[in-house]
Amino acid sequence: MLVTMRRLFRLWFFYGGLDIKWMLRDIGSFAIYAFSDVVNVVAAITAMLLISERFDGVGPWSQTQITFLLGYAVMVNGALDTVFGYNIAFISRRIGRGQLDHILVQPQPMWLTLVTEGFSPCAGLPIFLPGLGLLGWATVQLGIQVTPVWLTFLLFNFLGSCLIVFAVSYVVGSLAFWAPRAAEEINSSSWRLISELRTFPLEGVAPLLLGGLLTAVPIGFVAWYPSRTLLGLEPVAAAAFVTPLVSLVFGAIGLWVFRRGLAHYAHTGSQRYLSYGHRR
Amino acid sequence: MDTDADPSSLLGEAPIVRLDGVWKTYEQRQRSERLAGLIRGLFKPEIKRIDALRGVSLAIRRGEIVAYAGPNGAGKSTTVKLCSGLLAPTRGSVRVMGFDPVKERVRFVARIGVVFGQRTELWWDQPVAASFDWKRVVWDIPTERYERMRAFVQDLLGLDEFFQTAPRELSLGQRMRADLGLALLHEPEILFLDEPTLGLDVLAKRNILRCIKDLNRERQLTVMVTSHDMAELEQLAGRIVMIHKGSIAYDGDFARLRREFAAKRVLTIETPIGEPAPTLVGAELVSSDAGRHEYVFDGAQVQIAALLDQAATQARIVDVETHQLPIDDVIADVYERWLKEGHELAREPIPEQAKPAG
Repeated sequence: MLVTMRRLFRLWFFYGGLDIKWMLRDIGSFAIYAFSDVVNVVAAITAMLLISERFDGVGPWSQTQITFLLGYAVMVNGALDTVFGYNIAFISRRIGRGQLDHILVQPQPMWLTLVTEGFSPCAGLPIFLPGLGLLGWATVQLGIQVTPVWLTFLLFNFLGSCLIVFAVSYVVGSLAFWAPRAAEEINSSSWRLISELRTFPLEGVAPLLLGGLLTAVPIGFVAWYPSRTLLGLEPVAAAAFVTPLVSLVFGAIGLWVFRRGLAHYAHTGSQRYLSYGHRR
Repeated sequence: MDTDADPSSLLGEAPIVRLDGVWKTYEQRQRSERLAGLIRGLFKPEIKRIDALRGVSLAIRRGEIVAYAGPNGAGKSTTVKLCSGLLAPTRGSVRVMGFDPVKERVRFVARIGVVFGQRTELWWDQPVAASFDWKRVVWDIPTERYERMRAFVQDLLGLDEFFQTAPRELSLGQRMRADLGLALLHEPEILFLDEPTLGLDVLAKRNILRCIKDLNRERQLTVMVTSHDMAELEQLAGRIVMIHKGSIAYDGDFARLRREFAAKRVLTIETPIGEPAPTLVGAELVSSDAGRHEYVFDGAQVQIAALLDQAATQARIVDVETHQLPIDDVIADVYERWLKEGHELAREPIPEQAKPAG
């Protein structure tokens, strides 16, 4: 266990260093890259901010609470971009393009590669930090008492939300094991779906649809439900445990589907190879 | 199938690579051109099974360079993928250094090197040096070994001139040298090279081949290299395994192959359009079109001058060309000939596999 942890941190340290070197070597490209990411973030949350401004909140959510929700959603996005860059989160691309072989020739368990190879703080932090800023500002404005317990709930809900998005990405992306060409870009679609819907408060949505948005397409757990619990909008305190627990279920499903795909891959391999997007 | 025994105990004459009756079958979904067929295919798809390998048995000893040749689609890359743990066989067994490459992947790949000519393991936007550093960390190469091997491959492959350059700025030949160096950093016991010289110019190709030979000579590195370029393989390896339609058509040394099969040559005689093709004793007319007449003859038995003398008495010769029979034709020829004759494949016996203790 200790050896694995040491290796994990060593690999994160190395990949983080690689990312920093890339940034320092080509600072101009990095600036453009970071700027375009910030524009992307602003564009993603602007619609909801404007709606909130125009109607002085959305449903039972005040403007500041909406800002909290948006900050949380952007943080989830930023964290995933930070840890799972280089198409680790968009796994359908790696599978569909035949690039999984590059992982298979590395002498370490595959999970270790998947949780480390995409670590790119310079690429992800320009998204994560604005989200953290929004969430921090809203927390202060709302007068939330930031206690160790609240911070712990925030951390676990946040990790749960990240795991849910990541797991959904792998459940959907694993289709590329069976249909590499057709499903190569399927993670782009699943990611876009999540990105576009994650900022909506789901109060007032019909129960059947809400059920779907918490199970089949678990948009509700990306930001809405955990924000409700962290803002004290859920009547039961135990609600703070729901997102972390649900994330374990989605994580297990994602693992199961991915492993089935891998077993299939061992027999079929990949008949195509595209270098596009690999390690660049 | 797991074994805790140290596979490095498999020394001497025991094969380092052993394939026993390996079949690899792929499934291809067939698509109908008709609407009815398309709809039927939704519910009951028509699956075509393609045998990429058909009962291949092969043994490679430590320190050998084995050329694995065959036309496109013959099964070369499939074999390399099976041997490097990227694919599981449909039937039969694959053992490399005593490992099952798929089931014991992590421990296995730590001891092999793989280079695919059309793929790169290098980080595209980082200097070559960063990729080497990456290999050190991920492969957990001890510092002493890393420093020693880095110096060795830098010298052997001449990497100094572009070691701090990103692969995206390198020529194909430079990138290939860097990839080969990267594959050698952890001192693999066996190197699998799949079309390592594809797309390279003559000079770059020669450099790569020289390096592989040096590695084999100086370090007893076992090499399995695939290519469809027979001349290239002949420079490199003493032994050639030829595969055709998923079966081994020839396994032996190059000299015998040349003597027996590749002595065939092609002679093209050009005459004015409309003149009939000359009849040449000792050569077989294979095509005749618009005054270009192509013959195949055995270069070891028949003199070109004799054929030209015959031709000159029958037609006005405008131009003459001669060249070796293309490798694809040689392989097809060999295979078909043996198939027709019911000939046992020319194979060396596969030695008994040494069984790891414990």
